[in-house]
Amino acid sequence: MGYDLFLGCVIPARLPFLEASSRKVFEKLGIELKDVDGFSCCPDPTGIEQIDHKTWLTLGARNLSLSRNSNGGIVSFCSGCVETLKGVNYFLNKDKKTKEEVNKDLKKIGGSYDGNTNVKHFAQVLYENLDKIRENITHPLDGFKVAVHYGCHYLRPSEYIQWDDPFEPKTIDEIVRVLGAESIDYELKLECCGNPVEKSDKELSLLMIKNKLQSIQDSGANCVALVCPACYQQFDFNQRELSKEEGIDFDIPVFYLSELVALALGIDRGDLGLNFHRIKPKSLFEIVHFA
Amino acid sequence: MSVVNFEFRNEVLKHNASLSYCYQCSTCSGGCPVALLTDGKYNPRKIIEEAILGFQEKLVDEQDPNVWLCSTCQTCVELCPQNVELTEIFSLIKNRCFENGNYPEGFFSQGQAIIENGVAIPYSNAILNRRKKLGLPDVKTASVDEIRKLLKLTQFENNIKKRGG
Repeated sequence: MGYDLFLGCVIPARLPFLEASSRKVFEKLGIELKDVDGFSCCPDPTGIEQIDHKTWLTLGARNLSLSRNSNGGIVSFCSGCVETLKGVNYFLNKDKKTKEEVNKDLKKIGGSYDGNTNVKHFAQVLYENLDKIRENITHPLDGFKVAVHYGCHYLRPSEYIQWDDPFEPKTIDEIVRVLGAESIDYELKLECCGNPVEKSDKELSLLMIKNKLQSIQDSGANCVALVCPACYQQFDFNQRELSKEEGIDFDIPVFYLSELVALALGIDRGDLGLNFHRIKPKSLFEIVHFA
Repeated sequence: MSVVNFEFRNEVLKHNASLSYCYQCSTCSGGCPVALLTDGKYNPRKIIEEAILGFQEKLVDEQDPNVWLCSTCQTCVELCPQNVELTEIFSLIKNRCFENGNYPEGFFSQGQAIIENGVAIPYSNAILNRRKKLGLPDVKTASVDEIRKLLKLTQFENNIKKRGG
């Protein structure tokens, strides 16, 4: 089965290397991703939804309407996009009157939305193909002690995310273990990374990520795995910020789940754009003797 | 002294009836990662209490507690024993702040970017080059005219002008 690929904004326009590893992993596993023209911002569930719910529903419905379900529906590499697209589906199907209003606006640009587009997170698709991943591993991630960060929107609100468990998640830990890595438990595993409050209070946002990184460092993990570009920026970019602002150097490499899968599947490391990470994973590769 | 504003209370209830289930147990604040770190500046239980009392001025004008500090992590929603949809109610309050032009700059700039580009982050030349080097295809995003038409219909363009940029 294949999927329509919803790229969103942050990954393709700021972190394209995360897109590169994700596309390569899907290609290697033989799962087709179809590029679709004409998507807008999802829109951001921590941004636009918070200031204008109606606009969030309308642009979200327009995006959903562009997937014709010819394949398995939409897949996205971003937890925010997945939350928005699942959420818009949920609200429109719950409230017929709002759905009619949204469709009245969509009609004026020649569109309409029926409420039937399936939406999946890329990590869900990977989890559903765990056997295929296991069969294709050429470079097991021995020595990788991974602190898994699920991130909020991958799990919650469970009412419409409908995937994994909101407080006892296991899917990403399982994927990481299949790759040959160890998943290390840590106290603040389920805490928010703090990225969404950056728009309102930068200091608070930095405090939240500092606490998380400290908890990870205390656990003995030697890297982080995550599945959301907002969390990625918070973990990777803001380690630099913490170094600059507070002189704290955690130096913990941060991987997108797709990057870890790509490494284990033997996809050429030079094609993944790991050099674009702020915290370079090179010294970790040396420590664990990853060839 | 604040006076109960039934009109605002009913507006919130109409938008989300789950507000009336709250019995102020404070499970939300106990599980909130932001409440833990802000020493009362952010307190979800208190926001819900003020919504029940219809304290529009406190919530929308004074923003006390500051509803913009919600990280939308949805922990409170999952924990609430009464199934109050807190994040939805906070979103309604923030929508009212937006209509009054009283909200943090980061939300304004994201809104402006979508009006101008259809996407929240425009593609810079540096990124386009990087995409090429990584072997990634060109992305054909939405027609800006089409998105602007929708943003006019939903009053978004009109409302965003209310904030001095």
